[in-house]
Amino acid sequence: MNMKLSKESVLGLIALGIFVGMGLFTPGFFSSSNLNNMMFQLPEFGLIALGMMVVIVTGGIDLSITYIAAFSGVGAALMMTNGFGILPAIVVGILFALACGAFNGTVVSKIGVPPILVTLGTMVLFEGVILAITSGNAISGFPDAYGLIGNGYYMGIIPVSLLIFIFFIILTAVLLNKSTWGRRVYMYGSNDIATMFSGVKNSKVLMKVYLYASLLAAVSAIIMTSRYNSVKVDLGSSYLLQSVAAAVLGGTDIHGGYGKVMGTIYAVLIFQFIRNGLNLMDVHSSLVDVVIGAILIIVLTLNFFSDKFSRRKAESSSEKTA
Amino acid sequence: MKKLWLSLTVVIVGLILLTGCVSEQSAGSGDSGEGGGTGSEETSGNSEEGNSGESGSDGGGGVAVVPKLVGIPYFNASETGAEQAGEDLGVNVEYTGPTEADAAAQVKVIEDLISQGMDTIAVAPNDPASVEPVLKKAKEEGINVMDWDTPADKELVDLSIKQVDDEEFGRHMAEKLVEAMGTEEGKIAILTGGLSAANLNLWIDAAKSELEENYPDIEIVSDKIPTEEKQQVAYQKTLDLLKSYPELDGVLAVSTPAPLGAAQAVQEEGLQDEVSVVGSALPTDSEPFLEDGSLDTAVLWNPEKLGYLTVALGKMLAEGEMPEDGQEIENVGEITVKDDGKTVIMGPPQDYTKENASDFDF
Repeated sequence: MNMKLSKESVLGLIALGIFVGMGLFTPGFFSSSNLNNMMFQLPEFGLIALGMMVVIVTGGIDLSITYIAAFSGVGAALMMTNGFGILPAIVVGILFALACGAFNGTVVSKIGVPPILVTLGTMVLFEGVILAITSGNAISGFPDAYGLIGNGYYMGIIPVSLLIFIFFIILTAVLLNKSTWGRRVYMYGSNDIATMFSGVKNSKVLMKVYLYASLLAAVSAIIMTSRYNSVKVDLGSSYLLQSVAAAVLGGTDIHGGYGKVMGTIYAVLIFQFIRNGLNLMDVHSSLVDVVIGAILIIVLTLNFFSDKFSRRKAESSSEKTA
Repeated sequence: MKKLWLSLTVVIVGLILLTGCVSEQSAGSGDSGEGGGTGSEETSGNSEEGNSGESGSDGGGGVAVVPKLVGIPYFNASETGAEQAGEDLGVNVEYTGPTEADAAAQVKVIEDLISQGMDTIAVAPNDPASVEPVLKKAKEEGINVMDWDTPADKELVDLSIKQVDDEEFGRHMAEKLVEAMGTEEGKIAILTGGLSAANLNLWIDAAKSELEENYPDIEIVSDKIPTEEKQQVAYQKTLDLLKSYPELDGVLAVSTPAPLGAAQAVQEEGLQDEVSVVGSALPTDSEPFLEDGSLDTAVLWNPEKLGYLTVALGKMLAEGEMPEDGQEIENVGEITVKDDGKTVIMGPPQDYTKENASDFDF
């Protein structure tokens, strides 16, 4: 039994297979400029997917996450266009996001409104606030140095944004697996009442979950604004449902209680490889969505049946020993 | 736990290997694409030498046309035109864009096109500022860059294609409205998509000056009314207008959903003969309102021709030519080139009326 590969490792192999397959069948997929492209495209979406995953592990969902990102981007952009430095701008961007996260967290954890309703509301709310601030226009024109975060290389080889992404992958993995908070996140996700009766302050755990998700959104926003040199109300809005899809494809249980950082990362990689490869093959973009949707459904169905199968196996073996 | 760290290290090592690849390849030359397949595998590598524009040979490169999004009638029509131009002119055309009007998704599409080594990339930016870095990158790779439908940063593009002249378009709409009202005096109101939309404001200003200069007896009853680019809002605001100004003779609605909303209100109130509505809208959308006269004329340009022109000029650019003022483009007509030498105007606006609206499929 121990020899069996975990769900995540299987997904990793699939990702690798797609990578190699795309490389073999798609001209230009392995070209240096394309590999470079992908490394620059990964972090912004990956960070949002990670944030989404952490929320889903608690059995919740954060539909406002891309608008938190946009809001935080607007905060940073306003600072910079008003003559403040890059560092204060980033700090303000992160604070904006944390404020949003705290709002979500408070309503979810203290008042107990279901997360899907709260974040649906705040999604519209944040969008409205951004529209009120920007009146729908883009804010642009940041210092050149700011552009290095999203477009620059570290030591001439590795994109800075990718390094930031890797840092947050490790941080999230460590927090979820090594810290008390992380353990409680999983506990809350599998059974919130039992968690409460074991002396855990659920509201504190939840609060930190929404704060952490918004922190990741803010980092993603900083990378995006730096990469595109501009921010607008719908910054990254196409990532919203994709991030849910990536988290779920990565094996995160939509009911909460289970989810691995690596699974999500593999899912993000799979999306990236497919999207990029099909783009290079001149496949129409709406077909790309069809392919991704189909893969999602196939994997989820397979997951469902393999879970069922292994549960039945476990049951029958426990019966035998009894 | 162990497995997690294991897989983590695997990925990191993988990434390091990956990045290792990159440095190696960018030190050498880019790999040569294999033949067959899509006919666009001329990889540009990382070399920054000059223009790849002079190629013009069949097989490699081609013109990439990036709309704001795919799957809406307007951009489907320009796709038809672009594909047609590709066939007529024997140039490889790639028409691809995001499925949502999201600036980030659009940038990714452009980045992938750069990897494909196109000769020319034409973009209708969702957010002009956000495509700036990626267009810069395209230029560094020796790709010709142009915008169409919506202007990008003027400094960056080699060519900028506009559908119509803003001034002419606005004045034309005003004229059409007066024509529809059948009188040179009366009261009108102006609906707009959003107060800060630059192109809409240019049109409205032009329409206003046309009215002031040639039809001084026409009174505009209120400031321009924003409708949030939504038909529903335009409908609501028009109902309010009809109530507050019962003697209203005409509505000028700019932005594509606005005329539909206004016409809907007029239709519902049964005021087809009393209130004239003229605005910028697509023929298929406006057809039901044009039929009973609740919308009198829809004025726009032909997106199919716009797609055609984009590809035609993209090909010229790839061959190192620039369009000239008054040049005749086959299937499009005579184009105008502005004094800056790179702003191209497709032609006069096109009217869609009860008679011709059913001839178009966009």
